Amino acid sequence: MISEGTPAPVFTLKDQFGREISLSDFRNRQHVLLLFYPLDWTPT
Amino acid sequence: MPGVEALLPRFRAAHTQVLGVSIDSIHCHASWARDLGGISFPLLADFQPKGAVAQSYGVYLAAAGITDRATVLIDSGGSVRHASSVTPAGQRDIEELAALCEQMDREAGTPTQPAPEPRGLGSDAVLYVRSHCGFSRRARVAVDNVHARGLAVRSASDDPQALDALRAASGTETAPCLVIDGEPLSESDMIVRTLAERLAPIR
Repeated sequence: MISEGTPAPVFTLKDQFGREISLSDFRNRQHVLLLFYPLDWTPT
Repeated sequence: MPGVEALLPRFRAAHTQVLGVSIDSIHCHASWARDLGGISFPLLADFQPKGAVAQSYGVYLAAAGITDRATVLIDSGGSVRHASSVTPAGQRDIEELAALCEQMDREAGTPTQPAPEPRGLGSDAVLYVRSHCGFSRRARVAVDNVHARGLAVRSASDDPQALDALRAASGTETAPCLVIDGEPLSESDMIVRTLAERLAPIR
């Protein structure tokens, strides 16, 4: 797992509404909480 | 995820954008989110190549072909502030995560701006749909995911008056069609994105 204090790897992915979302969209605007999970239809 | 949706006001107040990530497709995400009662924050499809983003964060379980149930908090400057796992079978404590985000927001010292405010759809917006139509279904799933409870949804298949109104608004009988600010949008991808941008904006 990634270490605390290191730069977060950049990414661009689509969401459930078809929007392209990049980590860089939030730079200097918002913190980002990434919730990784195994699969849809599993408890969260 | 419903527990996270319920606490979105707290995450917003802590200048924190929540993003779910798994290897499922966007259509799978949309259906699942609706089954959960509607999820308006982004669920990202780490789909192609499968698990590539999870791998870059060291949370991909290659043998099982799935993502670990891992949590990563990144400050607005782009640095990782917290990384943990509850294992795929475990459960996250969402209250604890909200408190963690609030604490980081107080202490991070990186620049933030308020989250964008939803513009809404306007009181005269109407979504026309058809029965047994996959594109109409996708539009209705998005309506539920952004909690557009006040939006009028009319069936151009079952209701002759709705069909007349659709013809008058768009000049065609094509549905789904979202009429918003007096303008018809007849392409389902555009309808879904517009609903999200108006009611669950991220930038």
